[in-house]
Amino acid sequence: MERLSSSNEVIRLFVLIVLSLLVPLLPWLVSGIGTAVYQPKKKQELLQREQAFAKTSDVLSTLSKPLSGKEVKEYQVLMTNVVMSPSWIQILVGGILSLFGGEINVFTKVVDWSRREAQQRLREQAAASGYDEVINVRMETTTLSKIRGGKDKTTGIEVLAYGTGIKY
Amino acid sequence: MQPQVNIPFSNTETIPGMTITQMMGVVTGSTVRAKNVFKDIGAGLKNMVGGELKAYTELLQESRNEALYRMLVDAQARGANAVVNVRFATSSVAGGAAELLAYGTAVVVQ
Repeated sequence: MERLSSSNEVIRLFVLIVLSLLVPLLPWLVSGIGTAVYQPKKKQELLQREQAFAKTSDVLSTLSKPLSGKEVKEYQVLMTNVVMSPSWIQILVGGILSLFGGEINVFTKVVDWSRREAQQRLREQAAASGYDEVINVRMETTTLSKIRGGKDKTTGIEVLAYGTGIKY
Repeated sequence: MQPQVNIPFSNTETIPGMTITQMMGVVTGSTVRAKNVFKDIGAGLKNMVGGELKAYTELLQESRNEALYRMLVDAQARGANAVVNVRFATSSVAGGAAELLAYGTAVVVQ
């Protein structure tokens, strides 16, 4: 009888220790689920938005004049930006991969995603204000950081896309 | 919101339908901004799953408009009536602040 209750206590203690070890891992679990579920969902949405615009030829161009040579009646500088951040898991994996060098695939995906998002927003903004084309498109990327515990940590990257919207 | 300065600006070399008669030099406008602590915490939580940090997107949008406005004020002070070849540059300053710079060439157009 005495021995049974003591073994029960040992099991209870063991479960408690395992649980207390799991609690710090909980944010990582959330991060993992977020990376696996939330990000693909958002990317799918972006793809659908892009496909809606892909029916006509792309309105964005990096040329400083409209290719068609038509006279410009109205113009305005349009700019769109987006701040994206890799998830904790992606930062962890990226950190491990960067030890070996070469392409850090997880970060490539995030940067590519944000650049596509910024471009798509520029297309949408141009369409919403009725511009026929956006010329002289420039893109620019910056990392945003903040200080946490005396160390400079990257929180996200900002992609800015801007150009001149024109009406023929 | 700041008052509007009514100067046409473009990021191409010319203002469509007008000719440049005089150049007034390079004009710049810049601002350094940081988000408040609570928004930082919110962004920190969003950091966990990755994806867009809307608070920062809005912050940078507002600040860039401010930088643009300062550039236009600078152009007006120099007696220019248009700004061409506008470019934007961003850099992150320590402490969670970002500097946004807008620069261009102030010109007189007719």
